Amino acid sequence: MTPEVERVRSEALAAIEKAGTLEQLDQARIQYLSRKGTIAQLFEGMKTLSPAERPAAGRALNELRAAVQQSFDQKKSSLESTLHPGQSQLDLTLPGRTRFLGSRHPITQTLEEIQQIFMRMGFQIASGPEIEDDYHNFGALNFPPDHPARDMQDTFFITKDILLRTHTSPVQIRVMENSKPPLRVIMPGRVYRNEAISARSYCLFHQVEGLYVDEGVTFTDLKSTLLSFAKQFYGQNIEYRFRASFFPFTEPSAEMDITCFLCSGKGCRVCKQTGWLEILGCGMVHPHVFKAVGYDAEKVSGYAFGMGIERVTMLRHGIDDIRILFENDVRFLKQFS
Amino acid sequence: MRISLEWLRNYVQVDASVEDLAERLTIAGLEVEMIEVPGDKYRNFVLGTVRDVKKHPQTDRLTICTVDCGDEIRQIICGAPNVAAGQSVIVALPGAVIPHDQHDPSGNSFTLRQTSIRSVESFGMICSAYELGIGEDKDGILVLPGEQKPGTPLGTYLGMDDTILEIGITPNRPDALSHFGIAREVAAIYGKRVHFPKFRLVEGRTSTKSLLSVRILDTVGCPRYSARIVRGIKVAPSPKWLEQRLTVLGIRPVNNIVDVSNYVLMEFGHPLHAFDYGKISDRTIVVRKAAIGEAITTLDHKLRTLDPETLLICDPRRALAIAGVMGGADSEISENTSTVVIESAYFDPGSIRRTSKRTGLSTDASQRFERGADPNATIAALDRAAWLMQAIAGGEVTRSVVDVYRKVIKPRRVSVRVERLNNFLGVSLAESKVCSILNKLSLQPKVLKGHSKKKVIVCNVPTFRPDVTEEIDLIEEVARIYGYNNIPVRMSSRLHLQTAQPQKDLVCQIRDWFIANGYCEVVTNSMQDVSTAALLSEDIVKIANPISKDMAALRTSMIPSMLEVVRHNIYHGSSDLRLFEIGKVYHYRKEAGKIDPLQAYSEQPRIAIAWAGRAEPLRWDQKQRNFDIFDIKGEVESLGRKISLDNINFIPYSNTDPLNQLGIRIEIQGCYAGLIGLIDKKMLTSLGIEEDVYVAELLTDVFLKRKWEEKKYHELPKFPVVERDLAVVVDQGTAFRDVLNEIAQSGGPLLMSVDLFDLFHGEQIDSGKKSLAFRLRFMAVDHTLTQGEIDRSTDAIIQHLATKLNAVIRK
Repeated sequence: MTPEVERVRSEALAAIEKAGTLEQLDQARIQYLSRKGTIAQLFEGMKTLSPAERPAAGRALNELRAAVQQSFDQKKSSLESTLHPGQSQLDLTLPGRTRFLGSRHPITQTLEEIQQIFMRMGFQIASGPEIEDDYHNFGALNFPPDHPARDMQDTFFITKDILLRTHTSPVQIRVMENSKPPLRVIMPGRVYRNEAISARSYCLFHQVEGLYVDEGVTFTDLKSTLLSFAKQFYGQNIEYRFRASFFPFTEPSAEMDITCFLCSGKGCRVCKQTGWLEILGCGMVHPHVFKAVGYDAEKVSGYAFGMGIERVTMLRHGIDDIRILFENDVRFLKQFS
Repeated sequence: MRISLEWLRNYVQVDASVEDLAERLTIAGLEVEMIEVPGDKYRNFVLGTVRDVKKHPQTDRLTICTVDCGDEIRQIICGAPNVAAGQSVIVALPGAVIPHDQHDPSGNSFTLRQTSIRSVESFGMICSAYELGIGEDKDGILVLPGEQKPGTPLGTYLGMDDTILEIGITPNRPDALSHFGIAREVAAIYGKRVHFPKFRLVEGRTSTKSLLSVRILDTVGCPRYSARIVRGIKVAPSPKWLEQRLTVLGIRPVNNIVDVSNYVLMEFGHPLHAFDYGKISDRTIVVRKAAIGEAITTLDHKLRTLDPETLLICDPRRALAIAGVMGGADSEISENTSTVVIESAYFDPGSIRRTSKRTGLSTDASQRFERGADPNATIAALDRAAWLMQAIAGGEVTRSVVDVYRKVIKPRRVSVRVERLNNFLGVSLAESKVCSILNKLSLQPKVLKGHSKKKVIVCNVPTFRPDVTEEIDLIEEVARIYGYNNIPVRMSSRLHLQTAQPQKDLVCQIRDWFIANGYCEVVTNSMQDVSTAALLSEDIVKIANPISKDMAALRTSMIPSMLEVVRHNIYHGSSDLRLFEIGKVYHYRKEAGKIDPLQAYSEQPRIAIAWAGRAEPLRWDQKQRNFDIFDIKGEVESLGRKISLDNINFIPYSNTDPLNQLGIRIEIQGCYAGLIGLIDKKMLTSLGIEEDVYVAELLTDVFLKRKWEEKKYHELPKFPVVERDLAVVVDQGTAFRDVLNEIAQSGGPLLMSVDLFDLFHGEQIDSGKKSLAFRLRFMAVDHTLTQGEIDRSTDAIIQHLATKLNAVIRK
């Protein structure tokens, strides 16, 4: 009987192995493992054997049935795991069901990052109107009437006295008018300049203004805070310099440069071959500004600074035309997802 | 301002390298924006002497020349017929950029390389005038006159060794708008002395006063007017050196008289004007304001009608010049001029600036006067100019000056407390150090003698520094020259670093929600054209001096600029759009500004959203579906839920909105909170958009009005929820919301939620009817519901719907 058992074993295992679908596998089961299947028939055939032969034959058949059953079970679970009900074999290389990808505007990304850094340093956030009066935008900030300093900021006027703010500095005045020192605020917002639109300038942009007023604030504090900011934002290893400049509302006034990170200071088109990138303007609050808001310049001192968000954004992402920031082409926006 | 380094060296010794000079000036606030070396384009060009000329063995057209190039004798192949031994020529060495290629029809430049021509090596090129870009002659090499020293760089030979610094001068520093002014800064920075060139002016016998009288009618506009006369001059082109000085600064030479006044302006910073004496009536100059309707033809040959505020230089009959801005054409120096009046005045900065703004004329002179010229420099500038004119154009300088200067403007006394300076800057400079810096800047410091320990330094600030008026200005001067980079970096102990408050800003949360849900954030222009602004509001903020007509108003709605973004993207092939912007709209309401005019202007925060194209990305197992109004409603509802708003009301309204075809008003607790809708087809067509575009504009303030509250935990239900489905057949015209309200009203306390899961009309339903299928969920907080309780609730609903809406239950 043994050759018979071995033949059935190899036939059954081959049939199971060959089955590519659950249907085919089931046919193999019916043929070999069902009540009227081949193995059952072999058990039936045992009856013709002598009693002495039966125990050995029984063991062999039991062993055969277990082996086939095990092979069937394995195959079944492997087929089930790869089959989708009612379908043929699953193509796992089909794409997943994705959703649309959103994106934060690069201007917002830069702005939020800058805000986070200053908030960690204990600055609060304040805001003010974009439609301003001459007094807050210029007068209180120590721009005398008919002074060429006003030419630094070409202005959109609504009336003779009311204008679109040319910088976020009027918010300094509003904050100081409404609170007493000490104060430490940053003031982000949209500003307007009446300049021809080009790759380098747009009629509006965003600034972050900063102000710290307390007793005994020094130029050293100014430098330290801005250096700390620059390291957090541009990297710990930057080199920097402060150079004298002029803003009517601060004195001394300075501009802060960092080594051009595009050419590592060797000089390139972006840094105009100087190796330096101007990142912000700053200075000690001018006594005239304190006078305008009723602070005693002998008692308190302070510093202020401001930076253009678009400029910073363009520098860090290598954008060479400011207009693309306001075009809002989704092919552009999605690069910043 | 362009500064010639060579010229600068006339007034101060510069030992440092150009790079160092530029860096130190920049740090001190005189930003060197560019360093230009005009001779740079002739790098690798030298003078050479041809020693020997031999025929090329393979062709008659070429010669093999031996050329002495100074450090080296070179073999150079030359094709020019005029080359000969003994000539001084210009040799381009390998690496030189030849301005024009003689063999290229369009004459492009090229870089010379060492080559072999017909198997003979050539180590350079003898250039023609055309190749050098200094003439048209292509037929032969340029042969220099006389014997030149071989090896001399061409730049040196052409007098182009100079270096030009382009310096950005901030508006507070009129004193730095000249070579002498920059020299003063350089001297302060490097601890050198400035020296003004010495000259001796020889005057004639006739006194200037007998030839010219000056009357100032507006002493506010013109505090000082000085003049000199030079007689018997000959107007001609200037000598080469003078023309070159002006040319490198970008000033076009005119004639020797005009050029001298420009030269003195660039040298000394004080603006001068030269009149033709012969054109001045009655030997009299009158300084006055313009009469109403008075006009003058200026040097640029434009007839200008003047505002009565304009200050003029006149003779008794007519205007000769717009004071401090531009001369008149009539009294201009011409070939026939033989006597010149040199004007050297001081005008009020504000007056000049207003005139410059009004006329749109900004000149070298007006720029200096409006920043503040030096009232006490008029005579020095006059003398210098008269001396130069006489030296160059001949003639006689008449005796003395005419000088009307009633109220002398004196140097200002400004003091600085040393302790204050140190505290303010965070440094500890000795009083002697402070004095030394101030002294180098010519601010004439003196330590005030007194018994107080607190040292005070008083400066006698010269009138060329109108920007230094008080203590803080002196502190800045000291800081500038001491060097900002020498001030230490040290965190003040008062500046506590603290963790920011947890982010409770709902606007940030809203932005995050949009981005997480597949929206792109846009940032658009807040200016638009007046007619667009007028579409949606009458209360428009108009800009008085717009860049262009399409930016003459501030936006009254965010939708037009959003539509422009949609248009741009569809035009560029991106048609599946989910966009949002967080911004502001602006309105003007005159009544609100009665007390404070600024109050008439309001700025309201808004959120704009736009949808176009497919509602979901392309998927392989789903049919494509475009956005419809219910997607939009759902998005706004989801956004509301994000910020814990679950009571948003959507109210359809009959449309009067020029933008909106299918309008829904949004209300939150009875307050108008925005709108959603489908953009009008006509509007879209005019923008060239074929797709449907849905938009929403939300009033950020109303959305965020709710007070911020920490979220409170609600205990989770302990008893099971039971669901029942109910299909209700109602008239086609019955609104879903009415059915829902009736269910809610009649459902009793156990009814927890009602969701619509099917809307059906068609064959199995009578015409004019529709079937709404609801899933009702029931729950009690304190026990497990029984079958009877649920049946009673459901029956109550069915009864109520039948009575109120004539509804039939579909089994």
